Amino acid sequence: MADVRVEGLRRQFGSLLAVKDISFVFPQEAVTCLLGPSGCGKTTLLRMIAGLERPSGGTIRFGDRDVTALPARRRDVAMVFQYPVMYRTLSVIENIDLPLANDRTLTPADRRRRVEEVIEILELGDARRLHIDRLDLGSRQKVAVGRAIARRAAVTLFDEPTTNVEVHAKLALIRAFKELRRHVRQTIVYVTHDQTEAMTLADQIALMRDGEIAQCAPPRELYDEPNSEFGGWFLGNPGMNFLSSRPAQGGGFVVDGVPFPLIVPPAGLEDVRFGIRPEYVRIASAPLPDGVSARVLRRAVAIGGQHLVTLAVGGSRIKAKVAPAVGPSRGAPEIGAEVFVVCPIEHAMLFHRGERLADPPRRLASSPGGAG
Amino acid sequence: MSQIRFEGLSKSYRGAFALNGIDLDVEPASLTVFSGPPGSGKSVLMRILIGLEAPSAGRILFDGQDITLLAAAERSIGYVPQSFALFPHMSVFDNIAYPMALQGVPRPEIAARVDQAAGMLRIRPLLSKRPSQLSGGEKQRAAIARGILKNADIFILDDPLVGLDFKLRESLMEDLKDMRAEIGATFLYVTADPLEALTMAEHLVVMDRGRVVEAGPVDAVYYDPTRLRTAELVGFPRCNILPGHLDPTSVVCITAVGALRVALEDGAVPSEAVVAIRPEDIAPAASGTAPLGVGEVTLVENLGSESVVYVRFGETTLVTTIPGRATVHIDLGDPFPFTIRPGGPILFDRASGRRIGRTTGVPAEMQDG
Repeated sequence: MADVRVEGLRRQFGSLLAVKDISFVFPQEAVTCLLGPSGCGKTTLLRMIAGLERPSGGTIRFGDRDVTALPARRRDVAMVFQYPVMYRTLSVIENIDLPLANDRTLTPADRRRRVEEVIEILELGDARRLHIDRLDLGSRQKVAVGRAIARRAAVTLFDEPTTNVEVHAKLALIRAFKELRRHVRQTIVYVTHDQTEAMTLADQIALMRDGEIAQCAPPRELYDEPNSEFGGWFLGNPGMNFLSSRPAQGGGFVVDGVPFPLIVPPAGLEDVRFGIRPEYVRIASAPLPDGVSARVLRRAVAIGGQHLVTLAVGGSRIKAKVAPAVGPSRGAPEIGAEVFVVCPIEHAMLFHRGERLADPPRRLASSPGGAG
Repeated sequence: MSQIRFEGLSKSYRGAFALNGIDLDVEPASLTVFSGPPGSGKSVLMRILIGLEAPSAGRILFDGQDITLLAAAERSIGYVPQSFALFPHMSVFDNIAYPMALQGVPRPEIAARVDQAAGMLRIRPLLSKRPSQLSGGEKQRAAIARGILKNADIFILDDPLVGLDFKLRESLMEDLKDMRAEIGATFLYVTADPLEALTMAEHLVVMDRGRVVEAGPVDAVYYDPTRLRTAELVGFPRCNILPGHLDPTSVVCITAVGALRVALEDGAVPSEAVVAIRPEDIAPAASGTAPLGVGEVTLVENLGSESVVYVRFGETTLVTTIPGRATVHIDLGDPFPFTIRPGGPILFDRASGRRIGRTTGVPAEMQDG
C-alpha cells in the first residue's frame, strides 16, 4: 500500500485542458473522493492514476515508485468500474480469487483467507458458488468491490460504481463499502458526482471544478467551511443562498434579510456576497429580533418532511429549510403570506469574486439594534 | 384557462389494464406532479391526454367539453417527451422554434422567445448546432425549451430531468417553477423520483397499477395520507411501514418498535393495523429520558444539512432523518436509543389500506418499564 502523489499532472484533449496541472497527495489508507459536476476532470484524473489514460504532462508516484510511464497492469492497481467487469462463467468465489492467482507471493491458504474475508463482510455467503450470471447488477457490483478490496493493491480505484444500480442496491453497496472499510484499510480514490455518496464514504473529499481541485477537506468541513461560492453551492440540497450587498448610508454594507449594516471586511472591498445555508434561515409569522419582513413565494416538502420555503426579501430570494410543526397542518406558511425572516450572521460567510473571505460578517458597531 | 377532467378513463393492452378507471380533476394554473413507480400508468395517461393514444374507455373534458376524439394537433398542449425526439436535420434553434412556427408566431417574436428560454436553460451557445453535436443533457434542455415555448396553456413534462446532473436538476426545477408561474399555465409533470415529486409539486397525484391512489395539495398528501400506499410511495427517505396489532381496548397498537398509543378516527376497530412512521418522526432519545428502544446504527448517509440514519432494531431496519450537525459523531455499530414523536405516525387498516387513526404517543407505563 502506498500514498499517491501526482505532480503537475495534466491532460489535454485537443484544445480542451481536462486536467490542469494538478499537484496533490492522496494519503495512504484513506478514502479520497473526487467529487464534481460532469466535465470537471475527475474521471480523467482517476484514469491517469489507473494507467488507462496517458498524461500530457506531470508525474504520478505510488509511494516512492514513479509509475507515470508504467502500463496499468504493472502499477499494482485494482479498479471498480461503472459496470461490473466479471467472468460470466465463473462463480462468485472464483471471480474474487482470480486476480489473487496472479500474485505468486500468496499461498493457497492466503488466497482462501482473503476471499473468505470479503465474502463474509459483504454477506455473500449464500451466493458464493453461484455463477455471476445468476446475480443482479447490484450484487455483481458488490462482488466487484469485494474483488478489488481482496487484491490489497497499492491503490484501489472506484469509478462511479453505483451509477447504474437501482436505489436499494446502491444503498446496499454503500453499506458494504463502509463495512469493508472498517476491516480493511487501503489507499482508495473514489470518483462520484453524487454529493451524498461522497459525504457518506469519504475520509476527505477533493472537490473538482474545471480540471482543478477547488478544495480538499473532510466531508463535514467541506460542507461547513466552503472556500468558494462554488463549494457552498455544490454541496447541499438545495445549495447555499448568496445575497448581493450594497453600501449602507452610514458606512458598511447591507444585504437583504439582515436589518442592520455589516462591516466590510478588508475596507473598501466591493461586490461582497453574503452566503447562508437554507437550514440556518429562520422564519416566524410575527416580528422577531433581527427579523426582516418577507413574502412567501412558494414552498415545497423537502427531505424528511421539512418545509422548503422560498422567500422574496427586498430584491432577493432566500431559501429556508424549516422543521415542520407537530400536528396535521404542520405549520406550513401560506404562499403569498408575510413572514419575518432571520439570517443569523453567526452562520453566514462572505465571498468576493467567488472566493471566501477570511473574515466573517460582523454587525457594524455604530449600527442601531434589530428592527424587530 | 382549461380545466382538465378525466372521467372513467381506462386503457388496456391485450386485456391488461395500463389505466383502470381514472377519475380526476387537474387543478388549473398549477403544477401537478404525477408520481408513482414504473408501470403505474403515468406516461400512458399523458400520452392519452395529448392525443398520441386513444383510451379504451372513458372521456377527457376541457372546460366541460369532451375532447376525447379530438386530434392531437387540435388540443394545443405543450409537450416535453421522455425521449427528446429532436429533428436531426435541424439546428437547435429551429428545433425549438418549430412548434411556434407551425402556430404562425411571427419570426421576431420566435427569436426573442427562443433566446429567453435558451438563456434560462443555459443553451444559448448551442442554438446553431445540430442535435447530434449535443450531449444527452444538452438535448434534454433543448427538448424542454421546445416543449415549453409552444403557445398553450397546458404543458406536459414527462420526466424531463431524468439522468441529469444533480445540481443541474436543482436549478432547472427552480427555472421550470418560475416559468410556470410566469405564464400562469397548467403543468402536468411526471416523475418516478420521490424527492423530485415533492420538490416540484403544488398538487400531487399518486399513481399505482393504473389507478389514482390519492390526489391533492402536496402538503396534504405528504402529511395526511389517507391510504397506506400513499405513505409507502410518497416521501424521501422512504416511510417506515410496520405491521401492528391493535389491543382490544384499542388505545395502543403493538408494533416491532413497541407499543404506541393511538387515537382512532371512526368506529371501525380492525385488529390488524399498519403503522407508517415518517423518518423525521423517529428521533434520538434525549439523554436522561427512557428511549422507546435501542437500535444499532448500520449506516449514516450524510446529506449535509441532514443525515439519514439506518438503525437495526430486532428484525426491523428503521430509517430516520436527523439534522446533519447532530450526527457528526455517530458511527456504524453505535447504539441508537430512539423515541417516536407523538402525533406523527399514522395508522392504517391492514386489509383495506385506509387510514384509521394516528398515534398519540407512547404509553407512560411502558416508557417507565
